[in-house]
Amino acid sequence: MSGRNFAAIIFFAIVAVFLVFSALMMHPFGEFDEEHYPEMDQYIIDNTQNETGADNGVTGVVFDYRGFDTLGEATVLFTAVAGVIILFRRLKK
Amino acid sequence: MSGMSRIVKTITNVAFPFVMIYGLYVIAHGHLTPGGGFQGGAVVASGLAMILVAYGSIWVVGKVKEKHLSVLESLGAIGFISLAFFGILLVYLYSSFEGTFFSNFLIGQDTIPIFNEIGKGLANINTAGIIPLMNFAVGLKVIAGLFVIVLVMAYSTRIKEGK
Amino acid sequence: MVVDTMINIIHIVVPILIVVASFYAIYLKDLIAAAIAVSAMSLLLSLEFYILQAPDVAIAEAGIGACLTTAILIISIRATNREEEV
Repeated sequence: MSGRNFAAIIFFAIVAVFLVFSALMMHPFGEFDEEHYPEMDQYIIDNTQNETGADNGVTGVVFDYRGFDTLGEATVLFTAVAGVIILFRRLKK
Repeated sequence: MSGMSRIVKTITNVAFPFVMIYGLYVIAHGHLTPGGGFQGGAVVASGLAMILVAYGSIWVVGKVKEKHLSVLESLGAIGFISLAFFGILLVYLYSSFEGTFFSNFLIGQDTIPIFNEIGKGLANINTAGIIPLMNFAVGLKVIAGLFVIVLVMAYSTRIKEGK
Repeated sequence: MVVDTMINIIHIVVPILIVVASFYAIYLKDLIAAAIAVSAMSLLLSLEFYILQAPDVAIAEAGIGACLTTAILIISIRATNREEEV
């Protein structure tokens, strides 16, 4: 066994141990947990529809409270389009 | 001979209007039902990619240039960012208005009677301030961006398909 | 009661099918078949998102993952070799 394979197996084992332990430490699916309960979630659930006026709370969060995230997402898309067009420009006649 | 067989083209002609109507519905009702600009734009771009696969890239490039699609994409970005900057601009127009970047300046005012109501559980489309306008801008941007990626890739690699 | 049992069965079956589709995407040497396996994995993943009550993510995953990614992969395979080089 080469050293590279050995290092890969060690890394895989470490990642697998982390994943298994984090899966065991998750709180039960669909149940309310008092400890892992940020106040921000309850504020958004209570006030999104009144403050933004949107029925769909997800859109209200994405376009109003977290507008900067959507701006960054749009920038990523613009960069992807520019990269693809620059990359394939040479192949065109 | 670009494009696929007659069966594929017929099925595409039947299925294409439904895909487009569903995608535009998801964009237009983004503040009421699940979805939004990004999701609806992805659905519409999927329908356009179906046209591209069925009819071939040479036929599609004869109909629409990717330069115009780039202009549409930039137009969506400009609309989005100018809607965000209007929030700051309106501070100077209304002295009592507290405006910031990305502030929802259309909600709860009577000067501009568009999208200005607060609808909680009403499914009223005339609500939510600038969110529907931002949905349209992002939807235009995503449609043009995703379709121009697929179109440029398909048209640039067309040389090997003739062999 | 019957509906709850059905939903529990779907919650178990769909992740197993996702793992099977991912395995085939790695295992197959024909790259177009592997791309179709990736597409099937994305479609099952969008079904999983839907039954976990996230319809926003489900629509985006079905549009981008199952359709546009497959189109881009198949265009790339058409421009290069179809068989995987070991």
